[in-house]
Amino acid sequence: MVLKEMKSTLPPGSYYFSGNEAAAEGAIAAQCGYYAGYPITPSSELMHRIAARFRETGAVFMQMEDELASICSIIGASWAGARAMTATSGPGFSLMQEAISYAIMTETPIVIVDIQRVGPSTGQATRPGGGDMMQAKWGSHGDREVIAISPWSVQEMYDQTINAFNLAERYRVPVILLSDEAIAHLRERIEVRERITIFNRRKEKGAPPFGAGDDGVPPMPAFGEGEKLLVTASTHTEYGLRKTNDPLVQAKLASRLHYKIVNKREEIIEYEHYHVEDAEVVVIAYGFTARSSLFAVERLRQEGKKVGMIRLKTIWPFADRLIRNLGAKVKKVFVPEMNIGQMAGEIMKYAPCDVISFSQTNGEVIHPYTIMEQLERLL
Amino acid sequence: MGAVKQVRLCGLGGQGIVLAGTILGHAGINDRKWVAGSSSYGAEARGSACRSEVIISDEPISFPHVIEADILVAMSQSAYDKYIENVESEKGIVIYDDPLVSTKEINGLKQIGIPATNIAATELNNKQVANMVILGIAVEITKIVTKGALISAVEKNVPERFKALNLKAVELGLNWEME
Amino acid sequence: MATDVRQYLRLEAPPMPFCPGCGDRILLRLILTAIDELKINMDDMLFVSGIGCAAWIPSPHFNADTLHTLHGRAIAFATGAKLFNPKLKVMVISGDGDLADIGGNHLIHAARRNIDLTVICANNMVYGQTGGQVAATAAKGVLTATTTAGNYYRPFDLCKLVNAAGATYAARYSVTQPTLLISSIKKALQTEGFSFIEVISPCPTQFGRRNRLDTPKDTFKFFEDKLITKEDAEGLSPQELENRIITGEFSNGSS
Repeated sequence: MVLKEMKSTLPPGSYYFSGNEAAAEGAIAAQCGYYAGYPITPSSELMHRIAARFRETGAVFMQMEDELASICSIIGASWAGARAMTATSGPGFSLMQEAISYAIMTETPIVIVDIQRVGPSTGQATRPGGGDMMQAKWGSHGDREVIAISPWSVQEMYDQTINAFNLAERYRVPVILLSDEAIAHLRERIEVRERITIFNRRKEKGAPPFGAGDDGVPPMPAFGEGEKLLVTASTHTEYGLRKTNDPLVQAKLASRLHYKIVNKREEIIEYEHYHVEDAEVVVIAYGFTARSSLFAVERLRQEGKKVGMIRLKTIWPFADRLIRNLGAKVKKVFVPEMNIGQMAGEIMKYAPCDVISFSQTNGEVIHPYTIMEQLERLL
Repeated sequence: MGAVKQVRLCGLGGQGIVLAGTILGHAGINDRKWVAGSSSYGAEARGSACRSEVIISDEPISFPHVIEADILVAMSQSAYDKYIENVESEKGIVIYDDPLVSTKEINGLKQIGIPATNIAATELNNKQVANMVILGIAVEITKIVTKGALISAVEKNVPERFKALNLKAVELGLNWEME
Repeated sequence: MATDVRQYLRLEAPPMPFCPGCGDRILLRLILTAIDELKINMDDMLFVSGIGCAAWIPSPHFNADTLHTLHGRAIAFATGAKLFNPKLKVMVISGDGDLADIGGNHLIHAARRNIDLTVICANNMVYGQTGGQVAATAAKGVLTATTTAGNYYRPFDLCKLVNAAGATYAARYSVTQPTLLISSIKKALQTEGFSFIEVISPCPTQFGRRNRLDTPKDTFKFFEDKLITKEDAEGLSPQELENRIITGEFSNGSS
């Protein structure tokens, strides 16, 4: 069986964790065997907790010399058989982009936690932002498919980190937990369950490690298992032999890497809806902003206003069908973001209705009253 | 709707505001409440104005930051001035460090002065634990968490070598006789 | 008797890409000879390489686990694999441009941490695969695609660099010294901790051609004339040693 039920590493019960601590505990619960990172605000507490807790669990922790080394070493560890992870923030995430592209091409399961801070560049290190949404999707060259998840609570920093490992192993793809400073530094009560479900890497002796498998995702052997693996991010055959001049091999590989995710998007994508049934205006929000939005929507509903909300839990692959169907039913969608319309632009691609983008990039979270004011104008 | 209490602790970096917030939040967890807490972070938290917010609720918390404080605990003038306008006007309570803070009259707002820093200095010979004194007093006045929950939260969050002193300070606050 | 190294090669791989007279082809054979003499099982080996001609020595030709990585990052990838599975015997094989220029930071930090890796750096003083640009290891005055008036800067002394950073074993030999090089590779493979060998591996196509060294033989002679053993170099002045390549072992004292 590839799915395995495990006992949680923490005793079940309530905890008062920060988002960073919860993500670290989620990684430990998901049996993360190797973590490498480079300190950066506002993600560092995640690494501190990993460093302390891995001493108890026996997993391997490394503080590397930079973000390039961090992500490359987790890719090496993943091929050696580890569930592997790193965490960073925008500037470090930028440095990791070339290696994320490498992990996509070599189908290496890794988890990257990106605690977003407001940019561009150094920006404000202790202030939240949402400027990495498109970087997560298009941050390096080539047509790339990744999975990116946006948690909105400390509980989800725990749950979705476990989910991120499962998705990475299931689809052999980098999974990005697109969080931000506001969630990472928030402390909340979280509930740790007694049992969690873990996806174990599928193995099949002698099977092509870069073949199509049953569903576009090949089994994944590890170094040291006698498989004499050829791993390369140059265009390669199903056994990993470089084919850098063959248009057919290139086209086939690029297409499989795309469709192995896109064709499974209904399986991967998670979202929530609130009061959408009779809504005239629907807020589409994610991450911390969805907390502000839901507060605003609930208040307006109490006043009898026909507003609703969709929360995108999965950012990439994008929930195109959901947005297309929603847009056909409602007059307007309102998209509040801590960036200048990055997801609003994506929503405009699919929603056959008015899409109103609201941007706030001042390093503050968007206040519920701000969203209420904006919605009242649209009603 | 169950009870939701929004608490804002504020003062200067170095007064232990963030720790007091974390301890209050932990105490809420000990009482089986839903809790959300956030604080000033990084270099910003040292020396200048510093704040820590805690929301304690009987139900899961939708928006996790303070929108309007039910309880404001202020340990410096600048922090008081910054946050006093954002206190619930009818049932709100302000607890301030007297005489570090001088108040301004606001209609109907209950404002209670506590010489927390002086108490810590005279009774415990250590101004550093004024945060625990004022936290103990605030809990005693507002009953926002139980005494037992607060004491066990101090035990969990304070390093071993400072534990006895902090426990003494918080108990001093919890048992302080109001004039 | 020369070792038959075909048993260690992936015979289904395409023909080797090395140009006529390339030092890397000799280096490939010498590495496999050392492995054969130590009777190491190729199933226990992991070969990690970066980008460049020398990175193609193990990938895809060695019949073992191979990880062909990003430009400059081979050592970082190798560090993760080795630390997660210490049973793997990990050898990094790449060029001077890859390991010392773009990847220099990873090289010094792996040496500092004394990670149990063997790093073989094929030094041809030039960027072979990308068209003959200057490398940080190039001697002063040499002509390359980007130093058409002769290289202005000093070369990196990679053995000194890794030694200063704390490597357990460091050595420099030329592919024209096969016996010494085989025994050095064997030593490196048996070293616990970070071991590093800089191998002088001439590139007749990109380096030779641009420096009026019209045949592979001329290119090899150019390098051979520069070689001087550590013992012979002792007592010579810096001026006398300028533009010479000192060969030998430069161990850190701890081995």
